[in-house]
Amino acid sequence: MAEELNFTPVIGIEIHIRLKTATKIFCGCSTNTEAAPNTNVCPVCMGLPGSLPRLNIAVVQKGMLAGMALHCTPRQKSLFYRKSYFYPDLPKGHQITQSDLPIMAEGYIEVHDSEGKLKKIRVNHLHVEEDVGSLRHSAADGRLEGAATSFVDYNRSGMPLAEIVSEPDMSSAQEAVEYAMTLQRRVRYAGASEADLDRGMMRFDANVSLKCSDGRWGNRVEVKNMNSFHALEKAIEYEIKRQKKILLQNGEVLRETRHWNDAKGVTTASRAKEFYRKFIVEPDLPPLMIPQEWIDKVAGQMPEMPDEKANRYVKDWNVPQEVADVLTDDRALAEYFEACVAAGAAPVRAANWVRTEVLRVLNEKQISIGDFPIRPEVLAELVKRVDDRRLSTTQGKEVFDHMVEKNCALDEAVKDLGITEGGVGGDALTGTIQAVLQANPDVVEEIKSGKDTKGKKMKFLQGLVMKETKGQARPQEVAEALTKALS
Amino acid sequence: MELYELNLRSAAEGLKGKKFSAVELFDACLARAEACEPHVAALITKTAEQGRQQARESDERRAKGETAGSLEGLPVILKDNLCTQGVRTTAASKILGDWRPPYDATAWALLKKAGAVLLGKANMDEFAMGGSCEKSAFGPTHNPHDLTCVPGGSSGGSAASTAAAYVPFALGSDTGGSIRQPAAYCGVYGFKPTYGMVSRYGLISYGSSLDQIGPFARTVEDLHLVMSILSQYDPMDSSCFREKTYDFTPCKDGLKGKKVALVKEFQEFTLDAPIADAMTRTRKVIEDAGAEIVEVGLPVIAKYAVACYYALAMSEAHTNLERYDGVRYGYTVSDAKGIKEMFEEVRTAGFGAEVKRRIIAGTCLTEPTRSDEYYVAATKVRTLIAQEFAKAFGGADFILQPASPTLAPKIGESDVDKMKEYEADLYTLPVNLAGLPGLSFFTGYAESGLPVGLQLIGPRWSDADLLNAGLVLEERLGSPKIACALEGTKGGL
Repeated sequence: MAEELNFTPVIGIEIHIRLKTATKIFCGCSTNTEAAPNTNVCPVCMGLPGSLPRLNIAVVQKGMLAGMALHCTPRQKSLFYRKSYFYPDLPKGHQITQSDLPIMAEGYIEVHDSEGKLKKIRVNHLHVEEDVGSLRHSAADGRLEGAATSFVDYNRSGMPLAEIVSEPDMSSAQEAVEYAMTLQRRVRYAGASEADLDRGMMRFDANVSLKCSDGRWGNRVEVKNMNSFHALEKAIEYEIKRQKKILLQNGEVLRETRHWNDAKGVTTASRAKEFYRKFIVEPDLPPLMIPQEWIDKVAGQMPEMPDEKANRYVKDWNVPQEVADVLTDDRALAEYFEACVAAGAAPVRAANWVRTEVLRVLNEKQISIGDFPIRPEVLAELVKRVDDRRLSTTQGKEVFDHMVEKNCALDEAVKDLGITEGGVGGDALTGTIQAVLQANPDVVEEIKSGKDTKGKKMKFLQGLVMKETKGQARPQEVAEALTKALS
Repeated sequence: MELYELNLRSAAEGLKGKKFSAVELFDACLARAEACEPHVAALITKTAEQGRQQARESDERRAKGETAGSLEGLPVILKDNLCTQGVRTTAASKILGDWRPPYDATAWALLKKAGAVLLGKANMDEFAMGGSCEKSAFGPTHNPHDLTCVPGGSSGGSAASTAAAYVPFALGSDTGGSIRQPAAYCGVYGFKPTYGMVSRYGLISYGSSLDQIGPFARTVEDLHLVMSILSQYDPMDSSCFREKTYDFTPCKDGLKGKKVALVKEFQEFTLDAPIADAMTRTRKVIEDAGAEIVEVGLPVIAKYAVACYYALAMSEAHTNLERYDGVRYGYTVSDAKGIKEMFEEVRTAGFGAEVKRRIIAGTCLTEPTRSDEYYVAATKVRTLIAQEFAKAFGGADFILQPASPTLAPKIGESDVDKMKEYEADLYTLPVNLAGLPGLSFFTGYAESGLPVGLQLIGPRWSDADLLNAGLVLEERLGSPKIACALEGTKGGL
């Protein structure tokens, strides 16, 4: 009986991303993450008595770009609030965040559902806020409770964050992961965030509940502490399984906050009681009024988004969809490809070179496109030379590899490899042909007297010239030059 | 005349004319402070060493003919909620311990840049919460006119030290009357500028949307001088802004042709007889000076301002005071069982009773289930109050009203009835709710010898006009004398 019940997961996600600005959200301290503990701090981000926050407008700009990348609408008026709770990493005892009137309202992200159809996941809003400091505890489990000593580093305090809150529109862990990955790609494209998971620049909280086919609806559980796509997927899957089991036994899913334990692969009820949080309007920051012209200026900075880019490659340049998707996954790679095209390379050829050769090198060397040694104009030139048959495809790849290895110029690579471009052509070719003709007077005579009706003798001479030039002459040029010499 | 008796302008002129040096002036002021302190207790910290060094540097600059600015060599006392780099700053609370800020408040930095030298940090009600200067972790300050009376508060130490001529001027802060009421109790001029006129950066916050820094002096003209230095735009304070630059050059036509309003609703309230008399006298003086007396109605303010003010001030205060947790600076404990216990122990031992009362009230007022009814409602009432004032100033240039319904009360008297204590701020706190400027001015002495002050308020950004009106009032009502309870005239000394 119980087995026949159907459960539909209802999932919403809150994603925090670090916005890419040179300085913190409410002071002038650097956002450099490599600094020694408590060196990128000042009275403001330390919350010293008497200090006051002042909004870094670059954070609003980046937050707006991130929101625009998710189809959100900017607000001309937005407010800041104080969210109160006590914790040693929170120097003022409250976090400055947004509540009513965040900078960006409703948007969406498209993901594929289980049938592969596109589905819109609504974004409720995006707001900007300050990050807290980071804690390190001496306790074995790395938690504050029970630790003999705890260290606080306020370098992270005041780092600019955007929180993006989705509507509960997802119904599987896979959809949630695709949502998160798409969001990451789009905010990176917008230049709003590096969204680097390994460096803690993107963090996930998920709200999971189950709707049962018998009409029951389980309570919503908030799962925290997921710092990778894998963790996000596993935590949601675990939570769906856990809640299903409870509902199958006619139990009640507790409305609570649970902590994802990545090592054990389980969620556990949060030991800390739900913080009692109060909000008041931040009296030290006046309402943020953004002129429409400023919003328009930011909108003008929005680059083309990956999906739109891929569609353009397919439509305008006949790049295969699959190749276009790969090229547009990373904005820097797409821009590299476009720079090749701008430098004169044929789009489909350039796409294939980037897709196969460039990506191969990036993978082998584990480097990003920014560190790739061949500049796009140079690659374009190489592609052109292969296209013009000045280099054979094999030679082109040899030259490419040589340039990567030696980090040298195109002509230098050609020279190093002893390649004569365009094979032997021009005067050199004329010389070779004359030598071949002089060495074979009989054949010349036969052709001149019109006996080579099937062109076999001509082919023979061509072969000799090709051999003399070690295959570096272009066959068509050889044929034309021979015909000319014999006429 | 002793050097310490000089007002700001006379002292500046004396220094300029090389009649005495900045060090001589500083030493005279310090000696005066040291003589009075055992009785008045206006200072939490005396900065004798640093101050004398600054005075020496000032003399050196002057000898070379390169004066820093218009306050060159002039000693000042700062309320102890203004951050001073390397100098203990306590806000009169145990919880800040021996904290020495790593930075200067903008207001102090501006004075210093103009050449001022620091004599000390003044006592106050803890975190500026109070109106008597008794609620300090360092004990009460006494009114120099009568040592059995309070100097008022919260900027009581600044007012008392100016009145007793420790220094020619001092800075205080005013959240609901904390400059204007003690100025009236101590018989000096106290000015609360328009919200946004003076940077709050480095002022330890009480109610951020209400707090404003302002000067105390023994002449109105001296307030002009200090305001010309303080009224600078500061990007470090987002609520500090400018519609234009303001000229604080004194002008003696400040009342001619002006309309000065009395508040209809306030006339029903009882005032101490000397204050009622002062109102009558001042009204006459204003008319004599060529101004017209009119009447305005402020019904919303009369009825709701006190409740609105305390709801907002306490709501903001409790979040401003969340940072005092013993983790980074100030008072702390080392043997707490856990972090929660540490927070509890630090805050229980570190805060005084009035501060705790306001933190608890603020917490309740903003608690999610009550917030709409109290905190949010108060923000709406505040808008009505600002509108009511704006309407009133459509028909009047200034409003004349008391700074307090009473003269300085006896020490220990004001803490008896909480509601009555809070209601006594009715005349001052609406000004903060609307961000207006207010001048507390001296009108004379009561039979008891206590000074009687009143208040003139104006629309936003009318600061210079208000001070110019104050010049006329001072000319016609007379300037205050230096408080001399120490010489045995009052208070049994």
